[in-house]
Amino acid sequence: MRKANRYPGESKWLGLLYLLPAFLIYALFTLIPIIETFRSSFFEWSDLGRTSQWVGLQNYLDLFQDGSFLKAFSNNLIFITFYSIIPILLGLLLASLLSRYPIPGFTVFRTVLFLPQVISMVVVGVIWRWMFNPTNGPINLFLSAIGLGHLQQAWLGSFQWALPAVGSIASWVQYGFCMVLFLAGMQRIPEEYYEASSLDGASAFHQFFLITIPGLKAEIAVALITTIVSALRVFDLVYSTTKGGPGESTLVTGYLIYRSAILNNQIGYGAAIATLLTVVILSLSFLIRRILSDRNEVV
Amino acid sequence: MKKIHKIVVLMLVLILVLSACSKPTTDNPEVTDSDEITLVVWDQFYRPEESAVIEKLNAEFEKAHPGVKIQREVKVLDDLKMTVKLALAEADGPDVAQVNQGRSDMGALIEADLLLPLNDYLAKYGWGNVFSTSVASRNSFTPDGKSFGHGNLYGVSPTAEVVGVFYNKGIFKKNRWSVPTTFEEFQELLAKIKKAGITPISFGSLDGWNAIHEFSAIQHLLVTPAYINSLTYGVNNVSFDTPENQEAAQILLDWAQAGYFTEGYPGIGYDDSNNNFKAGEGAMTITGSWFAPELMIGTDQEFGFFLLPGLSGKQTMAIGGVGVPYAIRKTTQHPDLAAEYLNWMISPRAAELWAKAGMLPAMSLPENSKVKTDNLFGETLYAWETINKNNAVGHYIDWATPTFYDTLVAELQKLLGSIATPADFTAAVERDYAQFLKEQNK
Repeated sequence: MRKANRYPGESKWLGLLYLLPAFLIYALFTLIPIIETFRSSFFEWSDLGRTSQWVGLQNYLDLFQDGSFLKAFSNNLIFITFYSIIPILLGLLLASLLSRYPIPGFTVFRTVLFLPQVISMVVVGVIWRWMFNPTNGPINLFLSAIGLGHLQQAWLGSFQWALPAVGSIASWVQYGFCMVLFLAGMQRIPEEYYEASSLDGASAFHQFFLITIPGLKAEIAVALITTIVSALRVFDLVYSTTKGGPGESTLVTGYLIYRSAILNNQIGYGAAIATLLTVVILSLSFLIRRILSDRNEVV
Repeated sequence: MKKIHKIVVLMLVLILVLSACSKPTTDNPEVTDSDEITLVVWDQFYRPEESAVIEKLNAEFEKAHPGVKIQREVKVLDDLKMTVKLALAEADGPDVAQVNQGRSDMGALIEADLLLPLNDYLAKYGWGNVFSTSVASRNSFTPDGKSFGHGNLYGVSPTAEVVGVFYNKGIFKKNRWSVPTTFEEFQELLAKIKKAGITPISFGSLDGWNAIHEFSAIQHLLVTPAYINSLTYGVNNVSFDTPENQEAAQILLDWAQAGYFTEGYPGIGYDDSNNNFKAGEGAMTITGSWFAPELMIGTDQEFGFFLLPGLSGKQTMAIGGVGVPYAIRKTTQHPDLAAEYLNWMISPRAAELWAKAGMLPAMSLPENSKVKTDNLFGETLYAWETINKNNAVGHYIDWATPTFYDTLVAELQKLLGSIATPADFTAAVERDYAQFLKEQNK
């Protein structure tokens, strides 16, 4: 088959040559920075990154002694619930409702529900800072209007509520993406499956777990990978809402990298966190792919 | 195979042509404008009132120096901090740039040998008469960038800042409250305002940094100027874990628990809190004089400013200092012209323009100045002059160590969130400070 794709007399290297311009850009802006970051993590930098001293694995050893890093990383793991699990569940629910029970104005609903996904994260942060504002934000006003005034909180400034509050913003942003992904996947599942099963007496509940979910395996894998990666590398949302506070209750590794490398001039240390984060993200993505993809189907 | 060779060669040629094309744009100014000098200046005066002052001064500078063109680039402070470190290392970087004070900014740049020491110009222009030693030391480091507060001068600041109490004159008049003269009176006043059903202090700690000012303003009343100096400059091996600092933390916590701050203050940002205050919510707010210009326009409320008063029988000391200084890139082609520009930015003319905009100038106003001072600006000016006269200009304590800002923000939030006691707070901050002293004295 492969040979047929080539014109007679054409070199097999020609295809690679076409890739060259794109590869050069990719190398320049992605590969080289990654390698440089990895290399930087073995040095201690001074003079604003102009001189460096080899310290071997010291930066990595320091990481595991650093309470801030451990706290930040555990917050990232908690964020997986908000970035990944809740949006996927919500997305599945909404997608199956929208696809099984067509309602008038379907396109409008789909667009509106997807909208959070296309807004810039910084704008999202600004909007939600206002939503969560304790004195004149809609959330507290709503609570007091329905007689639940005692539930009012200083959401983003509370040690107990800041993480769930920021997390729920993430869920709000992500579920639209999951929903649209699943809606697309559901259109691939033959309608006959549902017809046949309902003739056999299957309930909507059965259909959901036995037809819809297995049919969406590939989409779920994609949703899991992208959302978990977002949860692990979150920076913009935390930067624009709480900057890691109060205390360190919403500190995440992405923010810690920025704080170490950019604000506090600890370039090697920041690079070590970044490297470790990259390794964790890559291995998790790989793991999910292995578990959820069929042997002969590549996600 | 030949085809590939051709294509590869073609591509290489293309790359060469492209790179050759891009070159002249960087070299051009020096080639064609050999008789005209361009001075590149980066500053962070982005607010309209501030920017207008700089534009005016720049235009006057160009007029007074024929053949000189100023190429100005404005950034907000956060952006400036991030980019200026790299830009100053470039051969075509800014000739003059505002560089934030403190160890992680100015200190790091001096350590990397990127800033020009200004001692010769200090003598030439007589800047010693413009600034007190206390002000100059805030922009001074040893040449290795390690020791802060003495050594060479590396920057000059055009503006000044003092942290104090803004109050709503209307609310005060209506309730017949008067400006307190001692800290004890101030505390009584807080209770009275609370009792009247008004928020005593408009405050929001979501952004973190202004909580440092709230704490440190109280701290400045309890400690000596010598202590604050030592703490900030990292000399004399002082500790943060002292009874005075604990007491200050306790007072702050008491205020929070007595409901003296805006309800829900941990979830309110600095700007939101200021907007509320400007709109007439809250009787007072504790922040820096930089807030004054905003309070002088676009509101029907009338505001005043006073220094947080000292304990009875004790002189008051207030957080204060000079704004972000202008510094000169070490490798600039035009060091003398750059210094001339610095001198221009701290001239009596500059002082007058800043004062007109409602901002405190770091320099004295000229004798015959016609700037209005029977307003909020005049009250901040009076406060600044008072602490200067009494040698009671304190410090931003977050300059003390490279990580002090992060530590203070996080620990103060823990204190106010009742996660940590005042004793935990001072102990946690001291761990950061002691670690820094240890490394510095190594």
